[in-house]
Amino acid sequence: MSTLRTWSQDLRMGARFAFGGGREGWTRTLLTGIGVGLGAALLLLTTALPGALAARDLRSDARSTWTAPTAEKAGPGTLLFAEVQTTFRNQDLYGGQLRPEGPDAPLPPGLKRFPGPGELAVSPALKDLLGSPEGRLLRDRLDGPITQTISDDGLIGPGELAFYLGSDTLRDDSSVKRITGFANDIRPEKLDPVLMLLLVMVFVALLMPVAVFVAAAVRFGGEARDRRLAALRLVGADSRMARRIAAGEALAGAVTGLVLGAGFFYGVRQFADRFTVLDRSVFPADLTPSPWLAVLVALAVPVAAVAVTLFALRGVVIEPLGVVRTAKPARRRIWWRLVMPVAGLGLLVPLMGRGREHGDFNQWQVIGGVVLLLVGITAILPWLVEAVVSRLSGGGVAWQLAVRRLQLSSGTAARLVNGIAVAVAGAIALQMLFAGVESDYTKATGQDPSRAAMSVWVRGGQDPDTGIVEQVRTVSQKLRRAEGVTGVTPLTTVNAVAPKDPDRMTDLTIASCPSLREIADLPSCKDGDTFLLRGGYDDATAKALAVPGDRLLVGGSPEGAPPVSWTVPKGVRAVPARPDPAGTTRNGILATPGAAPQGRGVSGYSSVYVQLDPAAPDAMEQARTAAFKADPLATVMTLKSTEQSNRFASIRTGLYVGAVLVLLLIGASMLVSQLEQLRERKKLLSALVAFGTRRSTLSLSVLWQTALPIGLGLGLATATGLALGAVLMRMTAVPVSVDWASVAWMSGTGAAVVLLVTALSLPPLLRLMRPDGLRTE
Amino acid sequence: MTAHAAPAGSLLTATDLRKTYGPTHALDGAGFAIHPGEVVAIMGPSGSGKSTLLHCLAGIVTPDSGTITYAGRDLTAMSDRERSALRRSEFGFVFQFGQLVPELTCVENVALPLRLNGAGRRQAERTALDWMRKLEVDGLKDKRPGEVSGGQGQRVAVARSLVTGPRVVFADEPTGALDSLNGERVMQLLTEAARATNAAVVLVTHETRVAAYSDREIVVRDGRSRDMEHAI
Repeated sequence: MSTLRTWSQDLRMGARFAFGGGREGWTRTLLTGIGVGLGAALLLLTTALPGALAARDLRSDARSTWTAPTAEKAGPGTLLFAEVQTTFRNQDLYGGQLRPEGPDAPLPPGLKRFPGPGELAVSPALKDLLGSPEGRLLRDRLDGPITQTISDDGLIGPGELAFYLGSDTLRDDSSVKRITGFANDIRPEKLDPVLMLLLVMVFVALLMPVAVFVAAAVRFGGEARDRRLAALRLVGADSRMARRIAAGEALAGAVTGLVLGAGFFYGVRQFADRFTVLDRSVFPADLTPSPWLAVLVALAVPVAAVAVTLFALRGVVIEPLGVVRTAKPARRRIWWRLVMPVAGLGLLVPLMGRGREHGDFNQWQVIGGVVLLLVGITAILPWLVEAVVSRLSGGGVAWQLAVRRLQLSSGTAARLVNGIAVAVAGAIALQMLFAGVESDYTKATGQDPSRAAMSVWVRGGQDPDTGIVEQVRTVSQKLRRAEGVTGVTPLTTVNAVAPKDPDRMTDLTIASCPSLREIADLPSCKDGDTFLLRGGYDDATAKALAVPGDRLLVGGSPEGAPPVSWTVPKGVRAVPARPDPAGTTRNGILATPGAAPQGRGVSGYSSVYVQLDPAAPDAMEQARTAAFKADPLATVMTLKSTEQSNRFASIRTGLYVGAVLVLLLIGASMLVSQLEQLRERKKLLSALVAFGTRRSTLSLSVLWQTALPIGLGLGLATATGLALGAVLMRMTAVPVSVDWASVAWMSGTGAAVVLLVTALSLPPLLRLMRPDGLRTE
Repeated sequence: MTAHAAPAGSLLTATDLRKTYGPTHALDGAGFAIHPGEVVAIMGPSGSGKSTLLHCLAGIVTPDSGTITYAGRDLTAMSDRERSALRRSEFGFVFQFGQLVPELTCVENVALPLRLNGAGRRQAERTALDWMRKLEVDGLKDKRPGEVSGGQGQRVAVARSLVTGPRVVFADEPTGALDSLNGERVMQLLTEAARATNAAVVLVTHETRVAAYSDREIVVRDGRSRDMEHAI
């Protein structure tokens, strides 16, 4: 018989055993399938994520006006578009104000027609929010009639809060674009080497535990399988045949797992639009695995299953009268188990000290090193558990049962913990790296939230009838009336130009004395006073222009009304500048209203700093609504003392989201594995209970059996994580320091998952311990 | 229906026991009685309900109806905790496949019921070793169940069933997995040891050769019992 035929025959026989062994057989295969399936589903999700993110980017680009084609003058195909920024309860809304100037004006993606003046087109998520009691405050802000729903192609994700507001008053000025189409073709900039390293690490650290769990799942029911193989040996199967049959069983379990995994993936995918994780949501249709990667998963999982099974059987001699492994197994050896982590370190150490400035890291070298180091945990942990438990003795019955069980067969328990250990080690290393480089990507904004909670930036003066001074007065009044607003500090700034030399220009800031004190140290101030700021970015020009009696042209803008003439009053006093609440040091001349130029239509901008009552829960939202109602194009900014790089924050967010998914997967797989083990011991558990063993004793013994390897696993994971973290920090030329809080957090989370799984497995354990489990008929 | 009047001085009696598993009537009015030191064999074909009767008598499962009295106490009225305590202290068990804990050594297996009753490890293992000596398996004390033969394992299980000095030993097909020579030896040792301690033995078997070690036989068929000496 040809080798191929022999293999296929034996593999088929194994597959038949997997499904044909009665209830017990298919239950075991189903459990294996569920374990493998959960892993396969997460792998498929990983292969689908790049596509989903790309689809989000595509739709975002399609509606962008950043580099959209523009026109100088109004025409049949032009649209006036202004981006409207607003935020509701820390969720940013995407908004745009639209004024079509002709019948062929370009429609934004997702709209069937332009909303009429004052009408709203909203995304389904925003529509739901506006219709709910939680969205009442936002409805006050967006109070126009909703006449249209934005369809999926105009949204980044299903949970996005987006709206378009129709307008008939929008004018062409610097915050408004006259466009002839939507689109953006900006090439994303290349990721810097450290961020790339972080990204690679996140993927490796998150996928490794999944792979470890897939490997553990294909070994479910190993003991029963060994007994079955012994029976086959008895009727004439040779040892090679027995191994091929075992491979066939594993293959059947893995294929079942793939089918279930695909089912889980597509099942969850249907509901993908119902979940928003950290403000991000995806359309089900976007979650389509990349074909090549999906094929790779479909091939890798069964191949890995067969390889793991054959590897597991390497130390087992299946004899016709039983499996030699049921006797005390040979001691595990450490030397070859150290090869992998040492090789991993060998790959990473040459990259130490390279830092950001010395070019890209070799991604494959990094991946190889990290994978070897983390896989090393799975090799060392079984040895460590065995070495430690072999030295344990004494204790009560529960302890004795647990220790003896671990002494006889610690491999299963260690395998159960491997996934958690790898995940915790990877996460600790990543947390260290994140903490180390955080300062590079987190910069102090200079903003002082204690002086003002938010700033409202208003432009004005494009309308010849209403200048910035009048406009800011309206905005300030509306803000003052908002619930929870305790103070409003408006500072209006206009250009001041020398009439004979338009290139000599400075700022003229007009505000009341209390407002001016926010940007300058004033010894005294009364209405009618004028000051010259010292310490601004261009003191020389300001000083040259602030000559009492000289005439300046102020408040002109290319789009708006012509400037007005203003004579610098007498008694200008030089005062030192101080940073405003947003951290900016102003420049130029300061004038109180009594000294300010009179006349309507002066154009410029105004920063209105708003103080809020910390005890009023919705003060921020009320103020945002007031600002929006006063001027939809006003830019509202919450003042924060620090801000993080968007990309850094995105990668960190990815780590948290991924860690949550991986921990859920690991927890679910551990539960399945735990139940599978308990089921195998059902008869023994029933017998123990029959002769009076307390259930609490057996439950405690199960807990010890999990807790001991977990304790050792977390210890090893912490050591490996710290070592990997230190190497990674050295690679990025960051001083090595340990963030003990995150170490404790990650280890604690790993331990919490185990406790949760143990708690969840207790009800089935108690059921399995019923004495009537002795029934065989 | 065959009911048993509780004979005077009986240690364990059961009357009119009924137990169903889904549509199957495992017990349908069975009765039973046993005196201290007596060996009673429960016989019957596969599926006749003999193991269910043993499990009910031992307080492992509760019957749907009927009464079980042990030393004057109503077993069916006891809580699960009370029945567990009773099994731990007054009853011993031998099952067909021994059901030894594979991780523990033979002596630890025998000592387990004593330890569950709160005995210290050394004292428990010393007592266990005495019983292993009586059952002629003391040479296996440090071996694990996977390393001993079926007959040896079953003798270890018998030692475990007797180690607490039980008043009743329940043996469910104790020789079912053994060859005749080993089976005979296990029965010989079990009954001798039980008689020496005045323990009653409830023996479930379908082999007449094994039943021959008993003082009395009860036949169970279709969930009903018939005492071969005191048939009603």
